[in-house]
Amino acid sequence: MSVALADKSGVDEMVDGAGRLRPHWRAVLDRIALLGEGGLAERAPRLDRAFEDEGMAAVLPGGAAAGQSWRCDPVPLPLAAAEFAALEAGLAQRARLHTALLADLYGPQALLAEGALPPALVYANPGFLRSCHPPQGAAAPILHVYAADLVRGADGAWQVLAERTAGASGIGLVLENRRILGRVMPELLRGAMIRPLRPVFDYWQDCLARLTPEGRPNPGIALLTPGTSDPMWFEHMLLARELGCFLVEGGDLTVRDGAVYLKTLNGLEPIDLLLRRVAGRHLDPLEESPERLSGVAGLLAAMRDGRLRVLNHPGSDMLEAPAFAPFLPALCRRLLGEALLLPPVPVRWLGEEDARAELLRAPEGWRVRPALDGRAPIVAIEELAPPKRTALLAHIAAKPWDHVSLPPFAPSTAPCLEAGAMMPKPIILRLFLIGDGSTWWAVPGGLARVVDAAERYLGRLPPRGLAKDVWVLADEGLDASASPVAAPAPMPIRRRVGELPSRVADNMYWLGRYVERLENGARLARAAADRLARGTSLPREHVELATLVRTLAVSGMIDRETSASAPGLLASLLGTVAPNGTIGTILAEVGRVTDISRDRLTGEMYAVFTQSLRAARDEAAKTGRNLDQLVHTLSAIGRFTIIVAGVAAENMVRGGSWLFLELGRRLERAAAVLLVAGEALKGPPGQVETGLKLLLEFCDSTITYRNRYLAQMQPAPVLDLVLADETNPRSPAFQFAAIRRLLTDVGGGVETALADEAAALLARVAALLSKVDSAPDQASAAASLPPDLAALTAEVASLSDRLSRRYFTLLPATRTIGVFEAEDLRRGAV
Amino acid sequence: MRYLLRHLTAYDYAEPVDLGVHLLRLTPRTLPGQRVIRSAIRIEPGPTWAREGHDHFGNNLLWLFLPALQRHLRVTSEAEVEVAFPAPPEATATLAWEDVAAAALQGGAAAWQAAEFLFDSPHAPADAAVRAYAAESFPPRRPVLAGLQEFAARIRRDFAFRPGATTISTRPATVLAQKAGVCQDFTHLMLAGVRGLGLPARYVSGYICTKPRPGQERRRGADQSHAWVGCWLGAESGWVDLDPTNNLMVQDEHVVIAWGRDYGDISPVRGVITGGGGHTLSVSVDLDPSQGARRRPGGR
Repeated sequence: MSVALADKSGVDEMVDGAGRLRPHWRAVLDRIALLGEGGLAERAPRLDRAFEDEGMAAVLPGGAAAGQSWRCDPVPLPLAAAEFAALEAGLAQRARLHTALLADLYGPQALLAEGALPPALVYANPGFLRSCHPPQGAAAPILHVYAADLVRGADGAWQVLAERTAGASGIGLVLENRRILGRVMPELLRGAMIRPLRPVFDYWQDCLARLTPEGRPNPGIALLTPGTSDPMWFEHMLLARELGCFLVEGGDLTVRDGAVYLKTLNGLEPIDLLLRRVAGRHLDPLEESPERLSGVAGLLAAMRDGRLRVLNHPGSDMLEAPAFAPFLPALCRRLLGEALLLPPVPVRWLGEEDARAELLRAPEGWRVRPALDGRAPIVAIEELAPPKRTALLAHIAAKPWDHVSLPPFAPSTAPCLEAGAMMPKPIILRLFLIGDGSTWWAVPGGLARVVDAAERYLGRLPPRGLAKDVWVLADEGLDASASPVAAPAPMPIRRRVGELPSRVADNMYWLGRYVERLENGARLARAAADRLARGTSLPREHVELATLVRTLAVSGMIDRETSASAPGLLASLLGTVAPNGTIGTILAEVGRVTDISRDRLTGEMYAVFTQSLRAARDEAAKTGRNLDQLVHTLSAIGRFTIIVAGVAAENMVRGGSWLFLELGRRLERAAAVLLVAGEALKGPPGQVETGLKLLLEFCDSTITYRNRYLAQMQPAPVLDLVLADETNPRSPAFQFAAIRRLLTDVGGGVETALADEAAALLARVAALLSKVDSAPDQASAAASLPPDLAALTAEVASLSDRLSRRYFTLLPATRTIGVFEAEDLRRGAV
Repeated sequence: MRYLLRHLTAYDYAEPVDLGVHLLRLTPRTLPGQRVIRSAIRIEPGPTWAREGHDHFGNNLLWLFLPALQRHLRVTSEAEVEVAFPAPPEATATLAWEDVAAAALQGGAAAWQAAEFLFDSPHAPADAAVRAYAAESFPPRRPVLAGLQEFAARIRRDFAFRPGATTISTRPATVLAQKAGVCQDFTHLMLAGVRGLGLPARYVSGYICTKPRPGQERRRGADQSHAWVGCWLGAESGWVDLDPTNNLMVQDEHVVIAWGRDYGDISPVRGVITGGGGHTLSVSVDLDPSQGARRRPGGR
């Protein structure tokens, strides 16, 4: 076989070799013409901004800087109906072929015995799971999603560059591209004769119903994600939401007696079907990769027992190995009795002596890639530094089965908008198929990636890039009302309380606590800052400031020693809002928890949360080291907490997420008020009045007090208002009454032991108050309260602990035994 | 030779184990040279769910889910086994090692199953120094078994048997550098060495007779699980087992439990637990001749 190794430029998608427009582009250009002169260029920045604000990267934990997200080019890539039909047939054939391959490789392995496949492709393949290959009785493996990367060769025919048999990433990008394009440029899509993407989820859900083991009604379906650190987490969230299934991480699941369950607030919910977005070899630490505890121990045993179906089959990752490509034409004839419809790019496995000899004779110009890792990049030998090149060639000589070679390839080009003009850019096309084990259906769209010279050789989907919406043109006569413009609106939370995964409840609870902690910290800091601004000349003012400093110090916001002087205090307050200060750290933590709870918030709520949070963080990060800047920052934090409270009150369904957000806020607030009260009342009885005023200020209750009691400052009435009045939303009594109701709701309307504890705390507050009220000297009685208040604060902390244990930590961390320890061979001298 | 086997594994936990799922590979394999007359595994506390089966390598496997809140796990494996592995072929009559390597890589009808044991595995990764050490016993065209026997003898001669010198994660390269280890290390070292030359080799786990025979010194690796190396000599001669720790060909002093690419494939008691706090582990193994053991069924 001789191969041209020159890197030519590819054919163009829009114009043929003679510069004539390809007919199916007419539809696209007509739509663009409707936008008017410069219409495309005018909309492009809006499109970019939309992707930055709501695209995939924008919702990844930590957010993404400008230019770090996936963007979508405004010019779509059209595929003619007939061409798409041919691709669909070709890819469906490959999906069937891979299913048959898996059935053999996880079954009799006849292909190895016959020599149709070299053993290295299977036995040196890290995706081959021996745990899924018992000598007898394995159920036939099932593929459910499949994707392929295609490039158009110089002859105009599509070739398969890579295949995805593990999880088919990128489908979320396809849907987002279409949705955002439809919103920003509705004229482009309205009335266009293109096939809609909307039926994808209907079809997908049908498939899942058919794939449920034993056709169980109301099956438990979960999508297993590696977690928020995964670059495709957004897609996992989107799919889980659209498919109406649980989004879970390994720690959310548990296997008991051979069945898989989701840990929820209600206990264990059975799971029948698991859509995995986790590598097969990381699914079960008991049988594979014991060093990774991210999986679920016993999962494979449950699968073998027929209690659980995992899609795609855990062992399917092995077929992504590039070394399979050259064997596929023969395998297709052998397994399906058909000729392979879609050829692979001319890949050669270097385990074959001819291919190896040719490469080693003249390595220049060849591209090589690891034979058994479809996600590793392709390397151009001539671009390697000499030592690396020598090492690579030595590796190939020593382990020839470990690499494949391929000639350079030049993808076709498609016009992209650049600086207001259309420029041809190379593209790689990824198409997606969904199947139910027997029939396959191609998603009528796709992901066209614009690739520069380096991106062309990436094995995996990069975390950012430029994409094009792929239009599959409808056959003539299709009903134009099937226009895909109307995108489904973001859906609200729809889980019942008990079905909430424990991990999610945990996150919402801490989100509530952190937001409230921010608010309390900002209030205290603001009170101190105000006093710094107006100066403290009166003794009363000195006492107030000293109390505030003490409270801030006890709350861990500032250091008491260095905050003794006015300049020292200012420096401490500026320090606490700085990114590495206490308030700054809480801000970051709120951001993190908001991000990982993204799947529980509507898009609008999320946008409101993050915008105001970003504003607060931006203020905090400003370098101005003065009082003004401090006040600005504290105000921005105050606005953020008010917005969260408003959104939670007005926009959140009273489901489990809301209940736990509220519980967190209420508990934190009760603890904060008790803490402030304890500090404010510390000191001789003569200073009690000062403390009471401060307490009223902290609880926003000064005006209410004045309305009730005029200017008379007496301990019992003040403490009644700020501690024991159940109608004052700042009082611990209000919080305890609310906590009791919330815990009753979480318990499904049943008064739980925890709710009883909240009721007991309410009674404790009332008792404290009557202690002061009935005392002959109220001031002395009030000054003696701090130990009681401290005890009550400790009880609140203990309620929080018990609540966490009851609802969140259903199981402690897991570990392996018998694998890493010196089990038996190293014990006892001989 | 007929043996009574008793292998006790006991875990004691500082705190109750909330949940435990375990995988046991403790039942001896039935093989052409090994007859399992009876075997039983006792588990205490009794499991709430159990399944028997075989793994990819054909080893006997037991999956267990244990009841919640246990403070200990005791697994007792008892068996009566008769072993008489066939004598190895005449070493000088075996194929040249290069031909064995080529046949294995080729795969196909005669070699595809052996080819699985050609490649790197986690506990026996390729290493240039280890390969060079092995290569000293494999000059060009040397009959493969002659090379393997010499290699095993060199390991026995060059290395000190020293429990505690290594851990399970010690790499063959380190073992080679420090010239000390236990049977598991010597096995992984030999695996990495012969695989480096392109020869298929597998990790075999089992036991060696506890009490020395009259006039013999006590075998190394008795009183515990033992490990040695299975080597492929080509399609015709198949597999033979060599014990580098004792420089023995495996014939009638060893009982085979399981084999795999390395220790990771055959760990006898493997589990994932939650809770439990710290734990202590105690293991005892007895492999003694049973009644009438003087008789050598199918003997040499």
